Amino acid sequence: MILLPRGNAVREKVDPGKINLPDALGKLQKSQFTGYLRFDTVKGTGIVIFTAGKLISALFEEGNDQLIAYDAIARIFEVSLQGQANLDIYKLSGDLAISIHALLHGKVLYKGQELKLIDIKALLGKLKEDKMSGCLRIYTDDKIALIFYRDGNPLGFFHDGSTDIETRADESMSVARLPGAKVDVLSSGGADAINLADLMASADLSALWRKAQEIVIKQRKSLSEAESRDRQVLENDRRVRVQLMLRATAEAHIGKIGTSLVEKEYEKYFPEGKPLDEAVFNKLLDHLGNAAKMVAGGTTIKKMIDDMRKGFRNLLKES
Amino acid sequence: MDWSLLQLPLWIIAGGVSFYFSLGNARVWTSIAVGFFLILIGEILPAAFSFLPGMDMPEVRALASIVGTISILVMSHGFQEYYVFSRTLELEGNKALVYIATVAVIFSSAVFILINPSPTAETLKVIKIVENTNWVFLSLINIDLIRKIYLNIKDSPISKGFGAFMAVFFFIFLWRGSDLYIQVYDLVNLQDAYPFRYHLSEFCSNIGNVLAGLSVAGTFLYLAKLLR
Repeated sequence: MILLPRGNAVREKVDPGKINLPDALGKLQKSQFTGYLRFDTVKGTGIVIFTAGKLISALFEEGNDQLIAYDAIARIFEVSLQGQANLDIYKLSGDLAISIHALLHGKVLYKGQELKLIDIKALLGKLKEDKMSGCLRIYTDDKIALIFYRDGNPLGFFHDGSTDIETRADESMSVARLPGAKVDVLSSGGADAINLADLMASADLSALWRKAQEIVIKQRKSLSEAESRDRQVLENDRRVRVQLMLRATAEAHIGKIGTSLVEKEYEKYFPEGKPLDEAVFNKLLDHLGNAAKMVAGGTTIKKMIDDMRKGFRNLLKES
Repeated sequence: MDWSLLQLPLWIIAGGVSFYFSLGNARVWTSIAVGFFLILIGEILPAAFSFLPGMDMPEVRALASIVGTISILVMSHGFQEYYVFSRTLELEGNKALVYIATVAVIFSSAVFILINPSPTAETLKVIKIVENTNWVFLSLINIDLIRKIYLNIKDSPISKGFGAFMAVFFFIFLWRGSDLYIQVYDLVNLQDAYPFRYHLSEFCSNIGNVLAGLSVAGTFLYLAKLLR
């Protein structure tokens, strides 16, 4: 889970599987967008960062694995197309966007420390002493604030709803005061100083998109084939159980010839691959009843048919 | 002793029961039941000769024997169909067709008799021999066929009814076989020379006839109970 404050929301709760992502990214590029796109999917979380229309950073975190740049974009495309994904787009200032990028690609020094259990003053003193560049991420379950540092000196604050690094600490401190607040210490490792290239300029995102589409189509096909196989196995199992029930019931009422009559009628009405259906089953019973008249009387046949109907319903209920 | 006083009422009961049975059961029983009903016709006609004027015509005697022959052919056909069913579980045909076909064959036989010269005593004897020959050999074949049917359906509710049919055909074999023996060796005319053979054969024929009538009625009543 990538914890980032929500910036100034441009769009929220968009299903990325229903839009053409290369086109959407192209539009952001043309509009000189600065900010980030957050993809929350069942597989993991993806972040795509823009500064002035340049796609400078892409990250996809899946469990303990992280993909970056084109691999991340390709994976974001793939999981978006698979469905059950959510896309939020937040606007940020250029500095903040780069800081977020540095933060995502930097190192986690401390993670999930309970704020009330640590000496915050000592921690800040240590950051200053080490001349660390990076940030403190203070968060609860539903609120996040970032405090950015450069060379050990605080740069400013970023919290939900802000678009730029702010100098007022109110919101960030209010998060720190919330019960159960935790802190992560992250080092940018100098990632903010690197001149970042535009990933859209050096790669054909449409090709990645098409490839992702192909992968998803293949996955859906194989999933549907597997489901179909499972259904078939289940249906075959049900068919066998119904047939065994009919055979046993027929043998109990009209003897061994009953099992032969059942086999014959069953093959006729429910050939391999034909699903069990109550209307067809009733036709089978009618026909079976007629054939059984050759060897048994009406009372016996009626009892047999009733037992078969009861058995069939019970088996349908079970499966 | 006039055996016909005992035989005729028994065949009337057996014929009535079998015809009634043919109406309310599966199609394949129709051929079997109609066949047994026709025995009644074949038996009633000769018995009626002494009571009804004009019945003692050679044509009527010939027709009685032919109906008797048709009787065993129809019931044998029915047992064959039942055997085929017990092996293949296939059923076809319909009841009306069995009745119509049987009536049509009897009608055609009557026409055949009428368009030919009036049967002489010798012709009637040959026709009677043909009838009894059919009964004797088809009874044996039917016993074997019914044995096979019984094995195919032996644990079904109706299987014991087929055991009863084996007894029926044994009595019919006794009855018709004795008749055939008397006819083939002309024992009626040779009874003074071979009294024991003649009287034994005559007795077997009469007792076979009575037991056949009894067993047919009993078997159909038993079948009706099993098929209730």
